[in-house]
Amino acid sequence: MRRTYLGEFEELVLIMTVILDDQAYGVTVSQEIERHTGRVVTFGAIHNTLIRLEEKGFVTSELGGATTERGGRRKRLFKVTNLGKIALEDIQQLRNRLWKMMPDNNLKPSGI
Amino acid sequence: MNQPQPPQWTKTLLRWLHPENTIEEVEGDLDELYAYSVQRAGKTKALLRYLLNVVTVLPPFVRRRPGKTIYDQPFSLSPDMLKNYFKIAWRNIVRQKAYSMLNIAGLSIGMACSILILLWVQNELSYDRFHTRADQLFRLTCSAGDFKTAVSAAGMARGLQAQLPQIKGGVRMSKQYSLLFEAGEKKMEEKRVFYADSNFLEVFSFPLLSGNAATALRDPGAILITEETAKKYFGTSDAAGKTIRINNNENFTIAGVLANTPSNSHLQFDVIIPMKTMAKWSRDIQIETWGNFNFYTYLELDPKTAASASARQKLTQQIARIFHEHGQTVKIDFQLQPLTDIHLHSNLQIDLPGHGNMQYVNIFFVVAIFILIVACINFMNLATARSERRAKEVGLRKVVGANRYQLIFQFLGESFIFSFLSLVIAIGIVYMLLPIFKMLTEKPLTIHLLDGKLLMSLMGIAVLTGLLSGSYPALFLSGFAPVKVLKGKMRIAGGNLLFRNALVVTQFVVAIVLLVGTAVVYKQLDFIKKRNLGFDKSNLLYLPTTGELGGKQQALKASLAQNPLTENFSVISDLPTKLESGTIDVIWDGQTTRNQVVFPSLDVDENFVKVFKANILAGRGFEKAFSGDSSGYMINEKAMQIMGLNVNNAVGQRLNYDDREGTIIGVVKDFHYKSLQYAIEPLILRLNKWGGVVMIRTTAGNNEQTIKALEKINQQLNPAFPFTFGFLDKDLDNLYRSEQQMGSIFNLFAGLAIFISCLGLYGLSAFMAEQRTKEIGVRKVLGATVAGVVGLLSRDFLKLILIAIVIASPIAWYAMNKWLEGFVYQTTLEWWVIALAGLLATGIALFTISFQSIKAALTNPVKSLRSE
Repeated sequence: MRRTYLGEFEELVLIMTVILDDQAYGVTVSQEIERHTGRVVTFGAIHNTLIRLEEKGFVTSELGGATTERGGRRKRLFKVTNLGKIALEDIQQLRNRLWKMMPDNNLKPSGI
Repeated sequence: MNQPQPPQWTKTLLRWLHPENTIEEVEGDLDELYAYSVQRAGKTKALLRYLLNVVTVLPPFVRRRPGKTIYDQPFSLSPDMLKNYFKIAWRNIVRQKAYSMLNIAGLSIGMACSILILLWVQNELSYDRFHTRADQLFRLTCSAGDFKTAVSAAGMARGLQAQLPQIKGGVRMSKQYSLLFEAGEKKMEEKRVFYADSNFLEVFSFPLLSGNAATALRDPGAILITEETAKKYFGTSDAAGKTIRINNNENFTIAGVLANTPSNSHLQFDVIIPMKTMAKWSRDIQIETWGNFNFYTYLELDPKTAASASARQKLTQQIARIFHEHGQTVKIDFQLQPLTDIHLHSNLQIDLPGHGNMQYVNIFFVVAIFILIVACINFMNLATARSERRAKEVGLRKVVGANRYQLIFQFLGESFIFSFLSLVIAIGIVYMLLPIFKMLTEKPLTIHLLDGKLLMSLMGIAVLTGLLSGSYPALFLSGFAPVKVLKGKMRIAGGNLLFRNALVVTQFVVAIVLLVGTAVVYKQLDFIKKRNLGFDKSNLLYLPTTGELGGKQQALKASLAQNPLTENFSVISDLPTKLESGTIDVIWDGQTTRNQVVFPSLDVDENFVKVFKANILAGRGFEKAFSGDSSGYMINEKAMQIMGLNVNNAVGQRLNYDDREGTIIGVVKDFHYKSLQYAIEPLILRLNKWGGVVMIRTTAGNNEQTIKALEKINQQLNPAFPFTFGFLDKDLDNLYRSEQQMGSIFNLFAGLAIFISCLGLYGLSAFMAEQRTKEIGVRKVLGATVAGVVGLLSRDFLKLILIAIVIASPIAWYAMNKWLEGFVYQTTLEWWVIALAGLLATGIALFTISFQSIKAALTNPVKSLRSE
């Protein structure tokens, strides 16, 4: 099977979507990334990434019900698909395999 | 509920630019994020972040969410679609023959003009670039105050080279000489002869066809000739080793044959004689003078110095220093003129003839672009005006699923078809017109289609034209809403009409400016030709004293005096048009500071005043009765003013000119002895004791007999030399050659610009008349006259042309004043010139429209109303 390429930031956003479960939308993803990684990301980056992930089939989205807190505007809630889960697992497995192949002392800062 | 809100304008911006299908959630998300960061970081920081976020979701950064329904769009470039586009384009061209003809004719004429002009511009810009080290070669020029000249002293080339390491080489060229050449039976005067140093062929890259380049100019008894000259004298280009006789007194061998001088070289020669030959008789060379400026010095600089302006600046200062170290006290500045600048950027005196003018290159380049624009406007106008015809097609295509980009692509493609078709025709026209254009410009222009660069620029012109002319129709046509178009008759929007009118106005502004330009150029030329020069230039014949004539002054004078046809003669040192000698060594009584103005001098004999019909303001001319006249001077008005004298006290003043003491015996009224582009300069007249040129005042109608008489005299006294003569007024006219050329080229292109504009106007008026067929029919039924209908149809266009006149007048006024500023003596730019141009443009336009309007007005209303 041809593995779809997943960029670093895409992976991050996808993981956040999984973590946030059914509360994942632009605002929460952005806040969580900032909280956990300290990265301040522009909203446009998140917005574009989510659309791209959806195009690749890793997430689906639907507009949530209107609430008064956003002036009656609906949220677009994102949900990870099976393909997305498989992709994440693939990456994780690949990493594990590669980590195991690393000689032990090579990761330590040398000469100290 | 009191949530902080970001500024309203950002929301407007967002709603306007952000993709429609994601605006709702994005706006909400942004608001929420804003509120969140206000809490965390305060209002200012929150606002900054918010603005940054907004920018990142605006195009081009934002990613568009694909719509839910995806149509399967045919790929624009698929072979089927392309075939269809071509088919439709071809059908449109064929179906509307008149319209296509107008378009293609306009475009191809416009392109042909541009190509011709660009060929000329390219030729002008290519001067002297063929030398392998063209960018390292400079000519040493100098200036004393306002007097700038191309010549320098004989000793400078070698002297400077020895002291300045930046100068890698130097070659001296003499002024242009005219000598008699003789080989076998052939005996002719060669006018383009130069003396040059032996490294001439090392510095310049004139190809040598036969002979040894290294030794060619070392032997004083051997010369170089061009291929053409070799063929002229020996019938073959293989002339090396043959003998040729110069001036009937010395034989030279041909050391080698040069290729003909490239036409784009500022040095135009037929024969090159070694400088060593000249050294036999020229004192300037023998003593390597630093004082007499009689040679052109070309210096080859090392690449570093040549490339840096500041290094060259330093070099000129060093040159001036060395010049003064050689005991020269005169205040002269030196310049290094790049070889490639000589043709277009030179306005020096005592220079080689045949220079171009950068101003004209610029003007014509702009004219070329404008003519192309005028042609493009035609296309745009006709295409949008007739858009109704294609509206249904656009509507149908859209209904079937074409999107706007495909339509834009299609219409642009069509305009490209038009422009490339026109290009082919334009190239044909260029081939046809090239001989005429060559005659007009006196340039050997050629068009090599296989030359990659030319081909590229031709393609460039076609693409540019296609884009320019097709963009507006493409955007306009593709924007039709299919529902409106297909429902019924669509009215053309007012905005479109306004745009079209603006285009017509632009066209006529260009045409009127060009018309005024032509008129002013001709007026100025006429002004120059008719200006009183201070002497009578008509019927002045001249005979240079070549060969033995120089030594037989007395016999010549005697035989001239015998014949009543030639008795009215004067012997002067130089033709006024070629006056090249002068000095700043002038001392007069009461002089306070050393003179810094160049005083040219002319040696004249006792008959000068009578023959030239010059006016004496004070004192007298030279006369035989006064034996002391050999130390007498006549001066012109300008010289008198510079010396601070006036008509009453000038005569009798002492004057030391060029180290010779004398007295002023007379003041002559200023006369123009140079091109009218220069202001009158001071002039010293001395008594001629040696010869030069014989000027003969003939009586009107007797020119031919006089020439015959002169020929006879020449045959008797100077049998070895062919008879040469000239008319002074013709020489004077030749000084304005480039202006005259400019006038005729301008004339040609102004005419063509107007013609192209009229083609467009014709098409538009035809369209208008067609649109209003019914209206005209009803008007006629109700009793309108033919004149009334014609007036009705012409009125709209007339308005546009009036607006064009109003806009064009100040532009033309400003531009032509700028051009006239280049002349010291200028004609006045009167309002009637512009009025006349406007009137002419109006007349031509009305005439063009009249074809269609009269035709429309004469149609039988029964025919036009029948179909209702």
